[in-house]
Amino acid sequence: MRVGLVANPFSARDIRRVIANAASLQITDRANIVLRVLACLGACGVSEVLAMPERGGIRAHVERGIERARNTGDERFAPVRHLDFPVTGTVEDTRRAVRAMVAEGVSAIVVLGGDGTHRAVAMDCGRIPIACVSTGTNNAFPDHREPTVTGLATGLAVTGQVPPEVAYAANKRLLVSINETEHHPALVDVALVAERVVGARALWRPESLRELYVTFADPSVIGLSAIAGFLDPVGRREPEGVMVDIAPLPADASRPDTSPAVRIDVPIAPGWLRTIGVRSWSRLAPGASRVPRLRAGMIALDGEREVGFGEDDDVRIVLEPDAVRTVDVEACMDYAARNGLFRRDERRALGAGRPAGE
Amino acid sequence: MTDQPFSIDRDTLLDAYRTMKTIREFEERLHVDVARGDIPGFVHLYAGEEAAATAIMLHLGESDRIASTHRGHGHCIAKGVDVKEMMGEIRGKASGACKGKGGSMHIADLSKGMMGANGILGAGAPLACGAALAAKRRGDGGVAISFVGDGASNQGMFLESLNLAAVWNLPVIFVVENNGYAESTAMEWAVACDSYVDRASGFGMPGVTVDGTDFFAVYEAAGEVIRRAREGGGPSLLECKMYRFYGHFEGDAQTYRAEGEVENLRENHDCIKIFRAAVTGAGAVDPADLNAIDAEALALINEAVAHAAAAPMPGPEDLETDVYISYA
Repeated sequence: MRVGLVANPFSARDIRRVIANAASLQITDRANIVLRVLACLGACGVSEVLAMPERGGIRAHVERGIERARNTGDERFAPVRHLDFPVTGTVEDTRRAVRAMVAEGVSAIVVLGGDGTHRAVAMDCGRIPIACVSTGTNNAFPDHREPTVTGLATGLAVTGQVPPEVAYAANKRLLVSINETEHHPALVDVALVAERVVGARALWRPESLRELYVTFADPSVIGLSAIAGFLDPVGRREPEGVMVDIAPLPADASRPDTSPAVRIDVPIAPGWLRTIGVRSWSRLAPGASRVPRLRAGMIALDGEREVGFGEDDDVRIVLEPDAVRTVDVEACMDYAARNGLFRRDERRALGAGRPAGE
Repeated sequence: MTDQPFSIDRDTLLDAYRTMKTIREFEERLHVDVARGDIPGFVHLYAGEEAAATAIMLHLGESDRIASTHRGHGHCIAKGVDVKEMMGEIRGKASGACKGKGGSMHIADLSKGMMGANGILGAGAPLACGAALAAKRRGDGGVAISFVGDGASNQGMFLESLNLAAVWNLPVIFVVENNGYAESTAMEWAVACDSYVDRASGFGMPGVTVDGTDFFAVYEAAGEVIRRAREGGGPSLLECKMYRFYGHFEGDAQTYRAEGEVENLRENHDCIKIFRAAVTGAGAVDPADLNAIDAEALALINEAVAHAAAAPMPGPEDLETDVYISYA
């Protein structure tokens, strides 16, 4: 039973560290998260973990941790094999690794990153479920949880100890199509901005924001999707999404007030509350196609500026149901507890085929 | 509020392109002239890294100070040091920025806020702290930038400077120009904490990593960290991930590079090509205007070389001039 592992060493490194006191989880802490997950996967009987190769330091610290444990007779970690391809240090590493994991038949992919990393994994993983660990900046898609629990739930799910209908959840996504030839998915939000550069990628200045589309609108997360969350909450498991038409506020407070219908204060980055003017908002029906009002600008996917479009481009945005599967950690743990999977006095503990007491 | 495609006006975009292109032509010409034997001493070329120096320096005024590295030509040009004087200096001529006594690794022009390239790795960092302390004491809103390579970032001086800058809350920005090789050693073999952002966190300051081949990424991030420093928000670290097209020094056999690596960099990761595509693609600048700048930059470098070639060497009578300064 194999599991994939994508641990992004470059998430949580952008300008929001400076402007918004965002966290910058250390590489060694990311490696420690990987080790905790590996210990749980090993306990559940996962035979091999296929990991994305990277040169940002996580791999080196993980291998060091495993070697040190082995020297002391500690064999609790699931065996790790790093995929063998040249590292570019870009998102291409994630995409290539996920394609290789799919080809090798992994049962799930554990992802350490923020919304952007999860989006990159979801582009290629098809129906293989993602187990989400948040190590990014806004982390609207991956929920905040001790990775030990995510590792346990994933191990229980992929080894079949928790049945798939309980273990995995369906998630919506937004698909942006440009001229019917380019397709760009987003897991949480699609934002249209007036400027035309990718720049530092992250969006932290609301002045350029024009339109926002979200798969779910959770008022208890931060980031652009919180704008919709503060207006019209819609859950991850509900069928609809939300579209918000932004009324940009004048940068100069002394200018005449254009009085947008609604103004809300939203943490669009950690600790970074901005006032957003809203002209209107509406629900997005699953499968229905929307054409943006903005004629030229930049498309930000899950909070990062990615793709430009011009007046001649035909841009359409569709909310797709059941597009990405994730490990439902709470459901797995609840099922496992209710069915005695953690009890050592049962027939066996955790790992399938692993006798109790071993 | 306006739907401008760029937050930077057209003239500034053209200036940025002119600076990047001037640096590129300067370095490409040096590469040829070193091989021809026209240049005394060691030369380290900045070709491929132009976007970082250019984007950062657009946020600085002449009174803001920078401390550069052994790979300092790009920093000098972007900070406004005269190209003819630079070429004279590198050729050891009396017309040089330091009258021919410094060479490539010691070009300085205090009138432009350029405190000097530096042959000692990491040595610019404490100088930048000093300049930042001066600016803070004057209260003039000035900032200082310390450029450092990924290799020199392991030097004690650099680490001490991070500490000093943090405890004194100095208006200084440490720019780590991470071109992937400390001479010939890749970062993962040499930097224990693996991340410059982690390193900055360890000293209690924020760190940011940007794609140093993307002018706009550097421009945005540098704008934020410099504004913060000017307003009293303290130091920060800005890592620019970038690539150098040439060896560590001119003459480096580069056996540590993979086959085809440089060709791939020039084709797919050239910061000037990337900039050009961005501004022309969005219709902000006409390609013909950029072509005209290409010609101007080349002409300027040819002129600088001719000027330097014709200039005299310093004479024996210059040996003891400008060596010491009296503060009396």
